[in-house]
Amino acid sequence: MKKHFKLLLQTTTCTALSLLLIACGQSKSDKTSTETAEKPVIALIMKSLANEFFKTMGEGAEMHHAENPDQYDLIVNGIKNESDVSAQVDMVEQMMSRGVDAIVIAPADSKALIPILKRASDAGVLVINIDNKLDSDILKELNLNLPFVGPNNRDGARMVGEVVAQQLQANDEVAIIEGITTTFNAIQRRLGFEDAMQAGGVKVVSKQSGYWEMEPANNVASAMLNEHENLKALLCANDSMALGAVAAVRAAGLEEKVLVAGFDNISAVRPLILNGQMIATADQHGDQLAAFGIQAALDILSGGEQPKDQQTVVDLITQETLNQ
Amino acid sequence: MSEPLPSVLTVNRLNKAYNVPVLKDFDFDLRKGEVHALIGSNGAGKSTFAKILTGLTPRNSGEILFQGTPFKPSNKQEASAAGINMVLQELNVIPTLTVGENLFLHTLPHHKGIIARKELHQLSKQALTRLGLNELNPDQLADTLGVGQQQLVEIAGALAQNSSILILDEPTAALTGPEIERLFENIQRLREEGVAMIYISHRMDEIFRIADRVTVLRDGHRINTHDTDGVSMDTLVHEMAGDELAERHPHLEIQHRGPGLTVKNLTAKPAVNDVSFSVQKGEILGIAGLIGAGRTETLRAIFGADPKQSGTVFIGDETTPLSISSPTDAVKAGIGLIPEDRKQDGLLLNKSVSLNTTLSTLERFSKSGLIDHRKEFDATVATTDKLELKYDSVEQSVDELSGGNQQKVVMGRWLLCDSPVLLFDEPTRGIDVAAKETIYNALDQLAREGKTLVVVSSDLLELMSISHRILVMSAGKIAGEFTPDDWSQEAITAAAFSEYISTHERAQ
Amino acid sequence: MNYKRWFTDYAPMILIWLGLVLLFGILSDNFVTSRTLATLASQVPPLAIIACGMTLVLIIAGIDLSVGSTLALASAMLGVALVDWEFPLILAIVVAVITGGLTGLFNGAISVYLRIPSFIVTLGTLEIARGLAYLATDSQTKYLGVALEPMARPLPGLGVPISFLIAVVVIIIGQFILTRTTYGRYLIAIGTNESAVRLAGVPTARKKISVFAITGLLTGLAAVFFTSRLGSADPNAGVGMELSAIAAVVIGGTSLMGGRGSIINSFIGVLIIATLGAGLAQIGASEPSKRVVTGLVIVLAVTIDALRGGFFQKLKMRFKTGTL
Repeated sequence: MKKHFKLLLQTTTCTALSLLLIACGQSKSDKTSTETAEKPVIALIMKSLANEFFKTMGEGAEMHHAENPDQYDLIVNGIKNESDVSAQVDMVEQMMSRGVDAIVIAPADSKALIPILKRASDAGVLVINIDNKLDSDILKELNLNLPFVGPNNRDGARMVGEVVAQQLQANDEVAIIEGITTTFNAIQRRLGFEDAMQAGGVKVVSKQSGYWEMEPANNVASAMLNEHENLKALLCANDSMALGAVAAVRAAGLEEKVLVAGFDNISAVRPLILNGQMIATADQHGDQLAAFGIQAALDILSGGEQPKDQQTVVDLITQETLNQ
Repeated sequence: MSEPLPSVLTVNRLNKAYNVPVLKDFDFDLRKGEVHALIGSNGAGKSTFAKILTGLTPRNSGEILFQGTPFKPSNKQEASAAGINMVLQELNVIPTLTVGENLFLHTLPHHKGIIARKELHQLSKQALTRLGLNELNPDQLADTLGVGQQQLVEIAGALAQNSSILILDEPTAALTGPEIERLFENIQRLREEGVAMIYISHRMDEIFRIADRVTVLRDGHRINTHDTDGVSMDTLVHEMAGDELAERHPHLEIQHRGPGLTVKNLTAKPAVNDVSFSVQKGEILGIAGLIGAGRTETLRAIFGADPKQSGTVFIGDETTPLSISSPTDAVKAGIGLIPEDRKQDGLLLNKSVSLNTTLSTLERFSKSGLIDHRKEFDATVATTDKLELKYDSVEQSVDELSGGNQQKVVMGRWLLCDSPVLLFDEPTRGIDVAAKETIYNALDQLAREGKTLVVVSSDLLELMSISHRILVMSAGKIAGEFTPDDWSQEAITAAAFSEYISTHERAQ
Repeated sequence: MNYKRWFTDYAPMILIWLGLVLLFGILSDNFVTSRTLATLASQVPPLAIIACGMTLVLIIAGIDLSVGSTLALASAMLGVALVDWEFPLILAIVVAVITGGLTGLFNGAISVYLRIPSFIVTLGTLEIARGLAYLATDSQTKYLGVALEPMARPLPGLGVPISFLIAVVVIIIGQFILTRTTYGRYLIAIGTNESAVRLAGVPTARKKISVFAITGLLTGLAAVFFTSRLGSADPNAGVGMELSAIAAVVIGGTSLMGGRGSIINSFIGVLIIATLGAGLAQIGASEPSKRVVTGLVIVLAVTIDALRGGFFQKLKMRFKTGTL
């Protein structure tokens, strides 16, 4: 009897908890997804909603929807873990079975998502690619036209790199802390940094992954500073990693000697840029990125536009621009 | 039954020993279409014989002729393929599979690995119908069945195989009256079909009802084989008990020092039913009974290791009942338990002698949480010396010790604890003769010091040599009380079987 | 403790570590330097303190998969207390440590009283704590600036930060408790055979719960050092840290089956993992080779530990019999 009671208690507790969590998670999207026949339904599929960058992106999309409530219905989705490709694939499938008209997606992987997106596209769902560009070779091979709406990461990184290069002399040594090396954005940003360094005649002595995160980046940065005594700058592919690099520089007592640059312009780096611990970052207006994608989808759905790539602006952020 | 039917199985001089011999030159024969009962006390060798026949354990020596040819199965499948099947005493139904899947677990009908559901359903339905289990659905999960029904499913599974020999080991233990009747009808039917059956049971009335012959085993020997029609219950009990006389261990008379342990109306379902007894200080009370009679469960319920539904326990006079809901309470109240399975429940096998010895009394060898290793060492040495424990150093891990020395480590723990009441569950199981002697001496010594001792043992001679008094448990109840003046193996054995006879009669 | 015992217990692990240091010293000119050692000293305290708790948990035959998320939650609470609530530093640290302790208490109480395996309970807490960390920080990395700086700075004259000293003290106390106190003795006993301990009249429930609570408290403390080193509270912190901690503890020879373990060896396990990470980053090893090498070292260390039972036992016997 006691055993049964315990079992019952366990099950009820677990069920109640999970229901509660589901309720919390869904309230937001359900509220905005009252489907009616005439309005198109657009699904926004992002990476981790816990990541500040994607969170503001989602908020931007919801704001866009709030301004145009009559034009479309919006479903916002994110995955738990940035690199969990399969979860994102499942999500695309769910959205297809839900019968959405368009999917605006920030792919967790630039290749692995293509097959499922092809199926969606073949099924007549308009697919707009934002943030992380899908592999153009594969798209071409499959003869697939999935318009990319977003910034040019390589240009952004080059702009940041140029600010750093201006402070350095030819043959100075710098290191790059990359994102997860298999993603398109990580590759583009690294290339952009390298473009700027090459142009300035600056040597890149080490390139290693910081997994887009603060602590791994901190460990890698520390090791780089220990190994290369003449290091003049750490170029980081996102701001979280730049925070880790700043801490490593400070721990090594090299604040005066080593510059740190980032990418994304998250709120936590602003004080660092203002007080000079970071030299520059790039703002690709992530908050509007999804909204751009949604607008592009609406334009195409209404027949006003042809499906084609659109480039959005990237702004350079330095102490100077913040003070303006 | 007018003329003897041909033998299907002949066993000559079969021997088997695990650590000690369990079957000694055992002879047996089984005829086509007979029900042959196998009876004997605990450890007589009945189940071991069944295991050898079904390939679950190998023999040491001897010959088995099955249908005239030597038979030596190396596993259960081989025996089953030859036509020898067994319904085990313990339930072997897999609760997460369906009734049908359980019935045909080893011979699931399939097409290229995919279970043929329809075929399975039909086969199962047939097998169930044969046993009159029309109400069961072959597709329902086995754990939705009651214990009795599960047992019947298991029997149906064995019957569904084309057996020429079927072994039934205590098949009625979990069954109710009508279910037993149904089983007996099936046994009757199988007999008419020519299946030979070996029927192992404690329940004498069942044996008289359905067995054609009965073989009595004692200590691994075949004592006798009778036609059931021509033998009395008394003869069988006498043969099971033997007439060996217990060698009286030379202990002193009990010096009555007042009440030690009193247990009133203890019930711990399902094994213990309204048990009451009391033990004097300085007395050794033996508890005898068959395996499954509720002896271990009684000790565990007193000790708080298992929950009890009712019952009060007193130490000393009967003024304040103890409130024991966990072993911790029991130890505080002054009770110690030396458990049946010392490796599972008694010892920390890969840990040192001293850690094991001081486990219950560690606080005594520590000051504000810090262990005083010196004090712990001294106490361990003093205690283990008293028990004549043999070891290299107190740091030696107990799994390197012999069974007897391991048992002494557990006893040493309670000696250190100075518990006035000690409950021993099979204290000499698996222990060699010499070590047994030192354990008996220790028990004697403890009694002389005025401790209250309760000893459960399946070895009747042992109990008769060490106890001042013996209680007999049968089917969860106290079925008899004996003193050295009136006890005999025969009387105690009869008492141990008594409740199994009467419960069945009540069920009728 | 005599030197022979010391030799058999700790020498193999220390030798592996020294071997690694030597190896990287050969491969890089800048590895065996005070700077690298100082970097290691500032990197290891969080993992070392968590590994101390994890050792206790594994000794009672449990497991705690939630430490990484708990670290993030405690780190988030530290950030919230400092920035949003404007608590003084000491009070904020107390908030973080208590957050960890409560999480651990939750793990222990649920697993012991409802008899759910700790693997499952802490797997749940892994998600819950991570979610709460996102909620607490609004999914944003909080820059804490210089508030925590003093704790990360190397102590004058010693070259190591205070966090390292505290970690060493925690480990020594932990080892002392494990080997010299009744509490430690009971934990080892419970992990060896809980049923026998219960039948010996020793109450086990509270002791087991306390181990999880202690692990939580230590994780909270680790979060303080983790956060102070990075100068930021990141809700994504500590992802996968549970596996690093388990790896370190297992490298140190603690049994996953319970009943056997050494906190000092766990600490050496942490040193091995950190040295490996720093060394591979310093020699600029490629991403795939980093992973392969790390995995190989874990397997190697555990194998050596498994052999230790045989080989060093024989050695010990020879000491005894005087043939050596």
